[in-house]
Amino acid sequence: MIVGEQKPILEIKEIIAPYKKILILGCGTCVKTCFAGGEDEVAVLASALRLACKKDGKEIEIEEFTVERQCEDEFIQESAPAISRNDGVLSLACGAGVQAIARRFAKSPVLPGVNTMFIGVLEKQGVFTEECSGCGNCRLDIFGGICPVTRCAKKLLNGPCGGSQNGKCEVNPETDCAWQMIIERLGILGQMDNLRIYVPPKNWQTSLSGGPRKLVREDHMI
Amino acid sequence: MNDNFTPKITLFHCINTVPEIGGFSLTGQDNFELQTVKLACSSMVKDVFLLRAFEAGSDAVIVLVCPEGQCRYVEGNIRAKKRVAWVRNLLDEIGLGGRRLSLSNISAGNNVAASQIIQNVLKDLEDLGPNPAV
Repeated sequence: MIVGEQKPILEIKEIIAPYKKILILGCGTCVKTCFAGGEDEVAVLASALRLACKKDGKEIEIEEFTVERQCEDEFIQESAPAISRNDGVLSLACGAGVQAIARRFAKSPVLPGVNTMFIGVLEKQGVFTEECSGCGNCRLDIFGGICPVTRCAKKLLNGPCGGSQNGKCEVNPETDCAWQMIIERLGILGQMDNLRIYVPPKNWQTSLSGGPRKLVREDHMI
Repeated sequence: MNDNFTPKITLFHCINTVPEIGGFSLTGQDNFELQTVKLACSSMVKDVFLLRAFEAGSDAVIVLVCPEGQCRYVEGNIRAKKRVAWVRNLLDEIGLGGRRLSLSNISAGNNVAASQIIQNVLKDLEDLGPNPAV
């Protein structure tokens, strides 16, 4: 999922300052799971902003609405009446959701309420970790399902650097050494021979370094 | 404290720690309004309920929970404690004052402790004054 964090409330207050009627638009998918922009977070933010504005003597109308997914036009459609009633939209979706709303509603200012951080997993309750860099050329098959591109601080593709201690990364001792984990996992899988496979220097053209990417599925186009 | 100020307090309480509010007296403290919200477990107190209590005009919000390690649902009071801490920070950030929100652990049926907590909050409100967002 895409992991994000709600912006500090004072920053949000500043972002919405020019508007008298604002819609806080939540997204019920990734940002809901990471407690940044689901229905509950929309309600809390709306309440906190109403209190903050009232305290400052500023009049503002805040409407709340959450769609299932802000990155898909089919779901965005449901928010059209609410968007048309307001001067601006504070989106609590990831950056893709914010832009999808902006694209769909060209005349409404769409403001970000969340800082999009990474593609990750829920490691344990309340802890989210980055596990994928979206490099566009996945080789998790030979790395035992553990990505050194994302999880090794040096992005090494052909074995460990030798600097880890007690299974922890020398760059950040709180981070597990990705190569330690890869080797342990390959051992469990009986695939230690994978370590003999030479992985050539990565072609980063498939990553964001090659500019914004596009996926076209002709078979799904009409 | 302003003579015209009648403090409004909202009290969320777990029914396992205080079965019924009203079973205790607040000697000499009759110039305040107390709104109570009974919860089957303090973990039911969501962030937004606390904030909405302030939106509804409360000057202070109290959450009464069971002592740590004695929650019938194991960790309900820990969850409540974390949520209250989070909302207190939020109240500080928006300038309402996190001190207006408090959580106390009290043992089941200890009405004396509950009365004392309310009295302490009333005393705090003498400094804090009315909710500035009303």
